[in-house]
Amino acid sequence: MSMYQVKPLCGSLLKPDLPTCMYTLPNIHTQQGNSCTSEVCSEHALQNGEVDPAVKALEARQDEILRKLYELKAAVDGLAKTVTTPDADLDLTVSSSLSSDSPSSTTFKGVTNLDTLLGKDLGALRDIVINANPAQPPLTLLVLHSVLCQRYRVLSTVHVHSSVSNVPPQLLSCLGPRHADSYARQMFQLGFTLIWKDVPKLQMKFSVQNMCPIEGEANVARFLFKLLSPYPSDAALATLVDSWVDTAFFQLAEGSAKERAAVLRALNSALGRSPWLAGQEFSLADIACYCCVLQSGPASSTPNNVQRWLKSCENLGHFSPAKLFLQ
Amino acid sequence: MTKDEVQGATEEEQQAQSKKGLKKQQKEAEKAAKKAEKQAKLAADQQGPEEDDFAKDRYGVSPMIQSQQKLDRVLVRVQDLTPEKADQLIWLRARVHTSRAKGKQCFLVLRQQQFNVQALVAVGDRASKQMVKFAANITKESIVDVEASVRKVEQKIESCSQQDVELHIERIFVISQSEARLPLQLEDAVRPDGEGEEEGRATVNQDTKLDNRVIDLRTTTSQAIFRLQSGVCQLFRDTLTNKGFVEIQTPKIISAASEGGANVFTVSYFKTSAYLAQSPQLYKQMCICADFDKVFCVGPVFRAEDSNTHRHLTEFVGLDIEMAFSYHYHEVIDSITDTMVQIFKGLRDNFQTEIQTVNKQYPSEPFKFLEPTLRLEYTEALAMLHEAGVEMGDEEDLSTPNEKLLGRLVKEKYDTDFYVLDKYPLAVRPFYTMPDPSNPKYSNSYDMFMRGEEILSGAQRVHDAQMLTERATHHQINLEKIKSYIDSFRYGAPPHGGGGIGLERVCMLYLGLHNVRQTSMFPRDPKRLTP
Repeated sequence: MSMYQVKPLCGSLLKPDLPTCMYTLPNIHTQQGNSCTSEVCSEHALQNGEVDPAVKALEARQDEILRKLYELKAAVDGLAKTVTTPDADLDLTVSSSLSSDSPSSTTFKGVTNLDTLLGKDLGALRDIVINANPAQPPLTLLVLHSVLCQRYRVLSTVHVHSSVSNVPPQLLSCLGPRHADSYARQMFQLGFTLIWKDVPKLQMKFSVQNMCPIEGEANVARFLFKLLSPYPSDAALATLVDSWVDTAFFQLAEGSAKERAAVLRALNSALGRSPWLAGQEFSLADIACYCCVLQSGPASSTPNNVQRWLKSCENLGHFSPAKLFLQ
Repeated sequence: MTKDEVQGATEEEQQAQSKKGLKKQQKEAEKAAKKAEKQAKLAADQQGPEEDDFAKDRYGVSPMIQSQQKLDRVLVRVQDLTPEKADQLIWLRARVHTSRAKGKQCFLVLRQQQFNVQALVAVGDRASKQMVKFAANITKESIVDVEASVRKVEQKIESCSQQDVELHIERIFVISQSEARLPLQLEDAVRPDGEGEEEGRATVNQDTKLDNRVIDLRTTTSQAIFRLQSGVCQLFRDTLTNKGFVEIQTPKIISAASEGGANVFTVSYFKTSAYLAQSPQLYKQMCICADFDKVFCVGPVFRAEDSNTHRHLTEFVGLDIEMAFSYHYHEVIDSITDTMVQIFKGLRDNFQTEIQTVNKQYPSEPFKFLEPTLRLEYTEALAMLHEAGVEMGDEEDLSTPNEKLLGRLVKEKYDTDFYVLDKYPLAVRPFYTMPDPSNPKYSNSYDMFMRGEEILSGAQRVHDAQMLTERATHHQINLEKIKSYIDSFRYGAPPHGGGGIGLERVCMLYLGLHNVRQTSMFPRDPKRLTP
């Protein structure tokens, strides 16, 4: 079925009234015919007699893909640089993508929503209460706290329970200076209440109604890390992370000198295979092991890979609260 | 009937408990001994008193002391009787707590406040038979002067606070005699609640104790309670004085009712009538307007509330604080909570014996607190209660059961017996409460809780006469009656806030007692005006 013809709305010879205040350029549309002066075009023109628009589109796509590949290569180079040469200055974008530790941006969005993670907000501040013994400051949790603070609006408070009488001043300021808005509790997404108390084992209380107290620094660390980033969905990888966390707390922090040496060797070989303990991603395994290595004493005899990894960890900038304690 | 067991102030609880069995046995033995003794006594009486008494001037009832002479005699305190004093001859004045005669000797327990020591009169070259008899017949609670030598004992005397020494009495004189029948027995009055029922022993009910308050106050428990109460007052004064507060005195007879809600006592005042002050509130505020900056006051407060509960009194001691602040009323909260924490710390560190003594009769968990004090907001509290299944309106005040429940929830999560609840709904607070700047439904007011019961209620006050007039009108308060109060804010007033604490309640809740009458020396409630 044919369509009826319509006369052009305006005559092709219509001359627009151009302003004179700007300099004039030759009309690019009228030059179309002459564009084939470039070698490629002329070649195509020579070969096919005329330029095929499909080929042009293909060319454009190829260029785009190549450009993306170059960008990716640059990014990978940057990453490799931070891993292999720890002293190198960190590219900000790289560090933030590492700390968020999210394989894709979609999961990241899901994470920021505390409602889905911790249940619906009933108007009360979601307060994580941690009872810790001042004799054993929980370095891992302090590190996780500082990362949480970058992600959420966290109301951090430190209290001393009446069961302990003297707490060194650095323990009182371990969560950093008071937030300027701390007078209005409703303005915060998350509460982090650290209570120095005479407890045999570190303890966390969150929802008194639905949850029993969680005991042990490792378990609390797992809880806090899940607020930051989901565990790897790969079961094997998740187990690997868990296994390293257990190793850190049971063998590095509490183990004998022999056990510690064995763990250091294991760390060394694992870090020889991948930049981080659980493969390509920075994870809770790295935080836990880093803190426990730091806590277990001088790092002079640490093997090479471990030393390199320690430096890379430090480059991330999350560990300053833990380092404060060891000075 | 005699029982020579008294729980000394410094004794450990376990010892007291392991003693129960022993006590029973001992008691039985005593009974038998007493029987024998009575018979012996009878026989002795029949022999007649004509027997020569060589120790005649070593005992007796001394003439009433009318300050006839000033002796230089030094009286030793019972609590100072330690092994270092062994083999010294000392004078001592104390009460006869118990006495028990056993043939040729008589054991006395001499008590001074919460301390006691065992003493012995035995027939020998210093004491005659008649002297022993005299000693055995001194009524309980009599006051005696005793000259005795201090002796170390090989076996600790478990029943006394001075466990390492006993006294061998050489002279004994009665200074003031007690009537033989006591309205209540001291050992019954300190018996823990459950124990009496189990063993079929007497306990003394609260009214008997309060009717005979003088004797009840002699018990170790009462001694400990009121020593601790004095400590609270002292710590309160010391802490605030160190913070630069000034202690003020305010009138108790006032012309207008100061606080809404609670009723006031009317007293006749010459040709008109006046009221007894419900709180020094208005006067504290006037002192702030008069540039005293930070003030506190300790004094009686009167509430004509006809409520017969475990925690209401019609007259109690108020510890009131008022201070000007720089920019935010949380400065006031911080000051008050820090004062409370200092009091709790002082009690924990310096009054451990008193706390232990009270715990023997009224067992309770040690008081726990956080430093700095936990502060929650009212909406948070409502959410916590909601989660626990309590339905209540946003602008409703907390009922007493809800307060208790909230206390339990907070304790479970934070393990503290002391916390602050901030940002109460404006509707449930008095007219002089400053509204919240961002939400007119709420106010800059707070309550403090100990073991789930409210001990302090406070707020930022309205310090602007214009706004105060509006708020008073809103509450339908007669402006004429509070004219002088409003006027005091017309000539420039600093922003300020404060609160008032009930001393009796603080002591009761700190010790975990269940009735405020136990921590009021001479309690006043709707049904009691004496002693």
